[in-house]
Amino acid sequence: MGRAEGNRKVNGTEGERVPPLPTCVKFQLVSKMNKDAQMRAAINQKLIETGERERLKELLRAKLIECGWKDQLKAHCKEVIKEKGLEHVTVDDLVAEITPKGRALVPDSVKKELLQRIRTFLAQHASL
Amino acid sequence: MPPLSSGQQGGEGRWQPLEVPWTHTNIPPQCVQPCCRPLCYEQSEHRLHKSSQMKMEEMSLSGLDNSKLEAIAQEIYADLVEDSCLGFCFEVHRAVKCGYFFLDDTDPESMKDFEIVDQPGLDIFGQVFNQWKSKECVCPNCSRSIAASRFAPHLEKCLGMGRNSSRIANRRIANSNNMNKSESDQEDNDDINDNDWSYGSEKKAKKRKSDKLWYLPFQNPNSPRRSKSLKHKNGFSVCTSASNTLPLLFSSSGELSNSDPFKYNNSTGISYETLGPEELRSLLTTLIFLFQQCGVISEHTKKMCTRSLRCPQHTDEQRRTVRIYFLGSSAVLPEVESSLDNDSFDMTDSQALISRLQWDGSSDLSPSDSGSSKTSENQGWGLGTNSSESRKTKKKKSHLSLVGTASGLGSNKKKKPKPPAPPTPSIYDDIN
Repeated sequence: MGRAEGNRKVNGTEGERVPPLPTCVKFQLVSKMNKDAQMRAAINQKLIETGERERLKELLRAKLIECGWKDQLKAHCKEVIKEKGLEHVTVDDLVAEITPKGRALVPDSVKKELLQRIRTFLAQHASL
Repeated sequence: MPPLSSGQQGGEGRWQPLEVPWTHTNIPPQCVQPCCRPLCYEQSEHRLHKSSQMKMEEMSLSGLDNSKLEAIAQEIYADLVEDSCLGFCFEVHRAVKCGYFFLDDTDPESMKDFEIVDQPGLDIFGQVFNQWKSKECVCPNCSRSIAASRFAPHLEKCLGMGRNSSRIANRRIANSNNMNKSESDQEDNDDINDNDWSYGSEKKAKKRKSDKLWYLPFQNPNSPRRSKSLKHKNGFSVCTSASNTLPLLFSSSGELSNSDPFKYNNSTGISYETLGPEELRSLLTTLIFLFQQCGVISEHTKKMCTRSLRCPQHTDEQRRTVRIYFLGSSAVLPEVESSLDNDSFDMTDSQALISRLQWDGSSDLSPSDSGSSKTSENQGWGLGTNSSESRKTKKKKSHLSLVGTASGLGSNKKKKPKPPAPPTPSIYDDIN
């Protein structure tokens, strides 16, 4: 996810886009990082390695379809598109309109279950 | 990016891209420009290795911080949700651009047409439940109207193409072959199905009433003899030797066959003198049958009802009518007090008939004991037992078997022995 959208990610502290670093530089930065960031990185790494991230993604997708989140969002999409006109819809438009609504529409049960699974994973793997 | 060779670091060479937030301040001055020199990779790998080692130490220390873990978990969750949302956006955008986004919408008219129906007695499509139960189909073969649920078995037998139909047909062929031995010249002399007649002995264990079938095709006495043509057409043959006879045919396989409906001929009388032995045998069988079974001929199927004398489907009037038809106007309906009622009747009638016909007597046969109406049928079938044996040998013995049956019937009625009743011969007087 990150690499494909490397250009989209905005630096959290400065709020502006920075040009991507060459790969060799990135690796050198690892040693300069603080512990939290390193831990986060390591956990992400672990998630991907074990395949847990994919599993979680699939689980989330299935749950969202089940609970009707996708249909709700689709209805919202239709309205947005009808407003904007079918021909003039862009990805950015859609993303800007839909992502906040999507985040809000996730039911609590789904959120709790997912968080539970993530915590379980962290408990297992945090100590490494 | 070219992959790193693992040999350079002595086995440690696993290259993992890291999602690392970085700032301007962290850029080392010597590597600002894009470069892919091996030296840089070596350096970076080395540093990566060091950092991962450091990480391992740090993780074990700081991993216990729950709030941080919780924050991390929330972050991961947010990432996942955002992934899903983005994925959805891409799907929608693609659908819009490819033109299939609005395809699953229905216009309002169709929405009204296909609205879900919620009335009692109807399903959601508005159809009536169980509509097909009362529907009737017309059979293309016999042009009769059959209930839908019975149509398939009927058709199987009507066309004579099912497994069971061919079994019945084969048995009938065998039956009629043996019956027509003296008359026909070209029939196959198969003795394969001789067992058809041995109902009483062989099928004692299978006393199933539904297995029996009495089938009585009537023939126009004025029409030419059609035994062969009937056989080829329907898979069984009708036994006729003279025009004034009452041809009988019954299947011992116990299955109904609709292939040849009855033709009533009210002018047919029974003249005993012209009957051959086979006809007499079958006639006697019919009579015996009438004494033990309901016998009402159904208009629908033109067959005699094989249920007991107390069959609820038919009234006594109907039974009386049938018996009058067969036996003359003074035919008496057998008493229906118990299933073994017909003792005296059987004995007397058959004995009377026998005496009239002046057959030789012998007591070859003793059919199974009758404990119920079912077994009383077996006694009727016991006729067949000897017939099969006789068929194997000579014709003469068929007489004996018949007689033996008759007397056997009388002798086997252990439960209610009654003296023979005098008025029975009058029945036959009327017939003649």
